[in-house]
Amino acid sequence: MSIITITSLLYICTSVVFIIILPLRKTLLLGAARVLFLASVVSHGILMGKLFLVLHEIPLSSVPQAINMMIFISSVVFIPIVLSRKTYLLGVFFLPFASFALMWVFPNIGLSSLTPFRPHTYWYPLHTMCVIIGEAMFVVAAVTSLVYLVHESIIKKGDFHSSVSSSLPALTLLDRILYMSVLIGFVAITSGMIIGTLWAQSKGLALPKIMPKIVAGGIVWVIFAVCLHQRFAIGWRGRRTAIAALIGFIVMMVLLFLINMLFPHAHGPGLLL
Amino acid sequence: MIRIQCISIDYRHVPIDILEKVRISPNAVVSMLTPGSEAYALNTCNRAEIYWTGMEKQGVFNKVSGLIGVTPGYLDRISLYLRGEESVRHLFRVASGLESMVLGEPQILGQVKEAYRVALDEHMVSIVFNKLLHRTFRTAKRIRTETAIGRFPVSVASEAVELACHVFDEIQNSKVLVIGAGEMATIAARRLRDRGVSRITILNRTIDRAKDLAEELDGVALGFNELHDALKASDILITSTGSSKPIITREMMAEIMKKRHYSPVVMIDIALPRDIEPDVRKVYNCYLYDLDSLKEVVARNFAEREKEIARAEEIIEYEVGVFSRWLKGLNAHGTIKDLYSLMEYYIYEQLEEKTSLIGEKEKAILEDALRSMAKRIFNRPVSFIKKNPKLDYIEHTRRIFRLDEDYQDRHKRQQTSAGASRDSNKSNEEYKGRP
Repeated sequence: MSIITITSLLYICTSVVFIIILPLRKTLLLGAARVLFLASVVSHGILMGKLFLVLHEIPLSSVPQAINMMIFISSVVFIPIVLSRKTYLLGVFFLPFASFALMWVFPNIGLSSLTPFRPHTYWYPLHTMCVIIGEAMFVVAAVTSLVYLVHESIIKKGDFHSSVSSSLPALTLLDRILYMSVLIGFVAITSGMIIGTLWAQSKGLALPKIMPKIVAGGIVWVIFAVCLHQRFAIGWRGRRTAIAALIGFIVMMVLLFLINMLFPHAHGPGLLL
Repeated sequence: MIRIQCISIDYRHVPIDILEKVRISPNAVVSMLTPGSEAYALNTCNRAEIYWTGMEKQGVFNKVSGLIGVTPGYLDRISLYLRGEESVRHLFRVASGLESMVLGEPQILGQVKEAYRVALDEHMVSIVFNKLLHRTFRTAKRIRTETAIGRFPVSVASEAVELACHVFDEIQNSKVLVIGAGEMATIAARRLRDRGVSRITILNRTIDRAKDLAEELDGVALGFNELHDALKASDILITSTGSSKPIITREMMAEIMKKRHYSPVVMIDIALPRDIEPDVRKVYNCYLYDLDSLKEVVARNFAEREKEIARAEEIIEYEVGVFSRWLKGLNAHGTIKDLYSLMEYYIYEQLEEKTSLIGEKEKAILEDALRSMAKRIFNRPVSFIKKNPKLDYIEHTRRIFRLDEDYQDRHKRQQTSAGASRDSNKSNEEYKGRP
């Protein structure tokens, strides 16, 4: 059985157990879910290591690889969240999303037919890693936003004694996680954009060629910048930050697919070919 | 035979406004007591009850009717008289919140405990009621932990705290503002303090009342002129003033929230008419709950709680059984019978261990020897109790030999063993035959 199959199965099993926890809330099941989740991340880590050994580079040379890396980093960030007594239920929202994304990504990752990609510079992996870390943090922010909006609507309806709502983290805790993930994500993505600009300049890449990606990146950056600015300036907390983070994430994913579909050589290793 | 009796006047038979004035004062109950009798009085805003033993029913009725200023006949009509196991069951139900207006509400147990403390101070209770009250606390605790009745806090105060816990992660770090020193707000503030909240501010028109409550809650008392600043600094607000107009408006909260950088505020308005304009809930990050919205939640929780009543009643029946057995055994005859039963249990236990090692003949010899030795040992406490059949001696004997603790276990094993039950009968017959 290949490492891809093992990782896929582990993620699917973890998702199923997490979904079962929601109505049953058994301590034993939660323990099993945590162990499975850790096993999934370890297995995913081994897969990433294998990719690295094949490529001799951080595996970021295609969109599936980038999404794979994004899910892997998000999963690592989710380890303390899932292990915490107060926040483990966020796993119920994250794991199905992660499993679904990986199911789509794994068949296209092409582990057997990988060709080493060498950009001959540290700028490229640094730029990509910063951006991917930023995007992974926005995944965390999006999941947290979703839970925040669900919990808030339950509280407003006054139905907070149900088994689901009593396990959901308090709004202020969700807001803290949301804020931290948006902040770290924003710093990472800003660093990635600056490094990317320097790299493009050093390579003498023509601006029109990379314009679609610059515009897309700029839109996402502005959404999260506004979200943070409003929080610092007028105190956007809770729902507004959650909605902004969710919008930012959706826009980011839509643009990622659109740009790579419409302008396949406008970004990534294609630029160097 | 000791018989516990009870008179209960509660909200089912008397309107609340009249019931609030009915009180069976512990001091008055002390004056009723006769030598060897015991009594316990419980007064809450929903009930006034007296439990007693060792006194005549009519005598207590006359005195209680005099105490609350009605005729004995009228008292008979508005009250519930219970005796024996029924009165024990009633007390267990009351303490567990099954007889409360808000089913399963937790405050009643505190009131039952407080009444017991007063009864102890006044020397109104002794062996029987000490045991009864401790059994009552145990029953109420079992019901809260073993059934879901305790999982759905339905009193408004508990509801408010529960709500705040859904908004604030570390509720103990929250700042609480209580506006008005009314009973519901006080209970809610107490519950918040029990959950570890230490920063409580009381704001009241009469500063002296605010100071009294602040002292009790280790909080700070403020006058009404400081409302604006107090609101700005608070995360949880509980309000229950007697004001005829809302004291907190939407405009006021919008301005305050802006200054707070929209840090969330949970607002519980338990006043009628409302203290907070309903439109305040439209202000960003204001979570406003008034009596109407809380009552909806309370009503929804009732359905959940009622499912648990059957389970709670099972626990009560079991505990009533345990207490009744103890009470029945609380006489010389019952205690001596239990001592012999214990003796037979020990003999049976020893024989069972050795059965595989010795033959039938040896077993019979060993059994005779063990019984003879045990009888000599048990003869001393038995003779002592026969000569001094006082309640405290009997109670001490029962405690020393732990006659009530493993009763179920012993009884079950003896029942399942034909040999042991034959021995037990023999011993009982022997005992019955004694002068």
